[in-house]
Amino acid sequence: MQTNSLTVPATLDSLAPIGTFVLAAADAAGLSKPARYRLRLAADELATNAVTHGSAGAAVPGQIDVRLEMDEETLTVILEDPGVPFDPSQVPPPDDLHLPAERRDAGGLGVYLALEGVDRFSYERVGGRNRNVLVMNRPNKERMKDEG
Amino acid sequence: MALDITAVIKGSVAEITLSGELDAAAAPRFRQELEVAAAGKPSDLVLRVRDLEYIASAGIRMLIFAKQKMGPGVTVYVIAPQEQVLDTLRRTGLQYSVVVQDEYPAAG
Repeated sequence: MQTNSLTVPATLDSLAPIGTFVLAAADAAGLSKPARYRLRLAADELATNAVTHGSAGAAVPGQIDVRLEMDEETLTVILEDPGVPFDPSQVPPPDDLHLPAERRDAGGLGVYLALEGVDRFSYERVGGRNRNVLVMNRPNKERMKDEG
Repeated sequence: MALDITAVIKGSVAEITLSGELDAAAAPRFRQELEVAAAGKPSDLVLRVRDLEYIASAGIRMLIFAKQKMGPGVTVYVIAPQEQVLDTLRRTGLQYSVVVQDEYPAAG
């Protein structure tokens, strides 16, 4: 298994380097264009949440750790932040997606996009930190070769 | 890649061109431009996004904000979105609230 990691301040300025880091991993894993976009979006949304909600009121921003794990089957992105406990899987999906914008409250979209866009998601609270685990299945090279 | 924004008002049409990446860090600048556009009381808001490579929920919320700020009488056009940006609009139900087309005014 290959691993790699990035540590950045829990600020909005860190969203760009997190995006670059995750996209590079997605490319290395051979993810399709839609899958790489969705994985980056998921990581970006959860990091945004950690910055805007998790660190609210903190005098000094904590740090977000992004760890990548890749094996033959999957690419896993693990985001850890020191914010208040927050389990995205407990957030109900928006129930107003079908309504005109004028009648929507626009809440919960980020978590919805994050969880709906990855193949597997899990959350745990470890050592006073939130750990969000995003898993994408890698394309099956043998199957693609057979089909190609 | 950072977000690049240019805005122009032509009569009753407010046009904003977005290129680069629209994440939560960039969304406040987009909001400022939307507020300027709304103050001009346009009939159409045209968002040219051919070179917009990424939109996060913060950007989607700005589109919802624009509709709520300008009211149902203003049509919001999203012009030439890239495939993944369009996918994000669809996944968040925005296709019910904006007009997606290749050109503005529409060809033909």
